[in-house]
Amino acid sequence: MENHGEHHHPPYKFIFMILIVCTGLSWIADELKDRFPGPGWLAVTVLAIAAMKASCVMLYFMHLRFERHWKYVLLAPTFILAVGLPLALFPDVAVHYYDVDVPQNPVENRAAGNYHGETAEGGHASAAHH
Amino acid sequence: MSHSENSHGSSAPPLKMGLAIPDSKLCMWLFLGTEIMFFTAFIGSYIVLRLGSPGWPSDPKDTHILVLAGGINTFVLILSSYLVVLSHEAMIEKNYRKAWNFMAGTMALAFLFLGIKSVEYYGKFDHDIVPGHIAENDEQALQKLVREFDSSRISLLNAIVPGDDDVNKKTSKLSTGPGEGEAAFDPAMVAAYQKLDKSYGELRDAVRAEKLSLHVGVDHEINPEIVSRLEAMRSDEQIAPYFHAHDPHPMVYGNVFASTYFLMTGFHAIHVVIGMILFGIVLLQGSKLDGNWIDFVENSGLYWHFVDLVWIFLFPLLYIVDFS
Repeated sequence: MENHGEHHHPPYKFIFMILIVCTGLSWIADELKDRFPGPGWLAVTVLAIAAMKASCVMLYFMHLRFERHWKYVLLAPTFILAVGLPLALFPDVAVHYYDVDVPQNPVENRAAGNYHGETAEGGHASAAHH
Repeated sequence: MSHSENSHGSSAPPLKMGLAIPDSKLCMWLFLGTEIMFFTAFIGSYIVLRLGSPGWPSDPKDTHILVLAGGINTFVLILSSYLVVLSHEAMIEKNYRKAWNFMAGTMALAFLFLGIKSVEYYGKFDHDIVPGHIAENDEQALQKLVREFDSSRISLLNAIVPGDDDVNKKTSKLSTGPGEGEAAFDPAMVAAYQKLDKSYGELRDAVRAEKLSLHVGVDHEINPEIVSRLEAMRSDEQIAPYFHAHDPHPMVYGNVFASTYFLMTGFHAIHVVIGMILFGIVLLQGSKLDGNWIDFVENSGLYWHFVDLVWIFLFPLLYIVDFS
């Protein structure tokens, strides 16, 4: 803010109200989770709300909206790592095509549909579980 | 060009190296950059692990996750972030008393956040939802039950026969009686021990011989034999204070769930405590709080907003999202 030589007054109260409403929306989404077409929709909804809240906090409470271009230089590497790490782990941990035979997942557990890799019948289901 | 030539030859303000923000603020942002990488590594790994672990525990009845507590804590942190902003604004307006009051409000909300978090942690520990303690299938649950019966038996034995002797020596003392100069054993306690020891022995032998199944019936209910055994111990007023066995409840991927839960919420709580120390330094200034503290308050606020940011993502990811 001081970069511009004058003091800005972002609409703090308005931002605060948005954040509270968004928190309420997350709560309502959880209460209505059975009405979502699938668990993925609930995840997308509440994470989108979280991203909106985070944007409000960063842009206004942390004043990033009023800062100069140094913010991009400083935050770009962190953003790359934040996205890069899950992407790097994703193929081998989250969507592996091969059967991970672990004692936690006995055969009956897989047959019950809780495991979407190698099925109990020996067939091969989709590797992308969720 | 020398420094003196520059100073005397022009009316322009002297050149300043670097960015047009206070050094302390730049340092805080660099630090927050490392903090973003720190937490996104945890959160990213958690998401990937969860996606790759079919059957991950997500039912609040299993995990003892309190969505309401998480929601209230989200509100508490957002309100505290708002108060920090108002405190900084008051500092700019040179209303230091008002700034101190807002800061005190933030501090109170930080305490409230930790209080609610400790209630949640207590619930986890009470149900033994701790990394490395969670049975992930029926066999592990039965073995854990036997171990808990055994440790309860030893606790009761130690209460009856104090001293440093090993368990075997203490057990034989129960039948031979106390040594010379030692106090007599309480007969009611001895009877209670024998009851617990008998139940432990029967349970251990049944589990070893694979004659006891954890679940029965089409509804997959806990075996009534196990339930009645547990109730018999818990209802005995001599045994109950020493009996620490939990209801057997296997949870697939329960240990990695507990590890990630405590890792992320634990590090977040540590950050809350550090924020409280920063606020405490400001609050300790009391009436001496003045314009020299504007940068400190702003940087503490930046740090606190980051703590809030992390929780904004932890709340849906830990409390609401269900990928199964």
